Amino acid sequence: MRAVHKRYLREFLPAMLAYVGLIVLSGLLLPKVASLPWRMGLALLPLLPIVLAIRAMVRVLRDQDELERRIDLESFAIAAMATGFGFFSFGLLLLADVGWQVRGGAVAIWVMPCLFATFGLAKLLVVWRYRRHG
Amino acid sequence: MDNRVRELRGEHGWSQADLAERLDVSRQTVNAVETGKYDPSLPLAFRIAKLFGRPIESIFDPGSST
Repeated sequence: MRAVHKRYLREFLPAMLAYVGLIVLSGLLLPKVASLPWRMGLALLPLLPIVLAIRAMVRVLRDQDELERRIDLESFAIAAMATGFGFFSFGLLLLADVGWQVRGGAVAIWVMPCLFATFGLAKLLVVWRYRRHG
Repeated sequence: MDNRVRELRGEHGWSQADLAERLDVSRQTVNAVETGKYDPSLPLAFRIAKLFGRPIESIFDPGSST
């Protein structure tokens, strides 16, 4: 593994561990807090390590070699379009009252995980395309 | 774009990993360049030419792509 990717893991993994810890803490404390500002603060608390994770991703994107960067950027583009298309389609179905009862927050909270998941799938495809011989 | 990177690497007795380390890129990038799946940027092409001590046009041939 190249140094740039080792540094990425050193930055990304602790951020994700902190995220898991804070999301648990936030979930435990939120039902016990009535004050609106405190509730908002507790709800947004898990975002702090996400900012660090995003910083790690941007740093690895900048510092890896040109093909790796190209693969990641192509994958991000595919993931962004696929996620946007998917949620837009879902939104149209919800507006058409097809019988699903879904809370807005429950939909919104899945945008980022879906983006990351589609990025992973898109990257497999893009890497395969560049690895294919002849 | 055709290139002679694999041939020149072979002449030096280097593995793809050796060449990747010398160019400060990933082995995946060396492989993609050698197989013609990826055309390197001008700075990387110049680094490759410098490493092999040859003019850039003797390594990379635009062929019918121009």
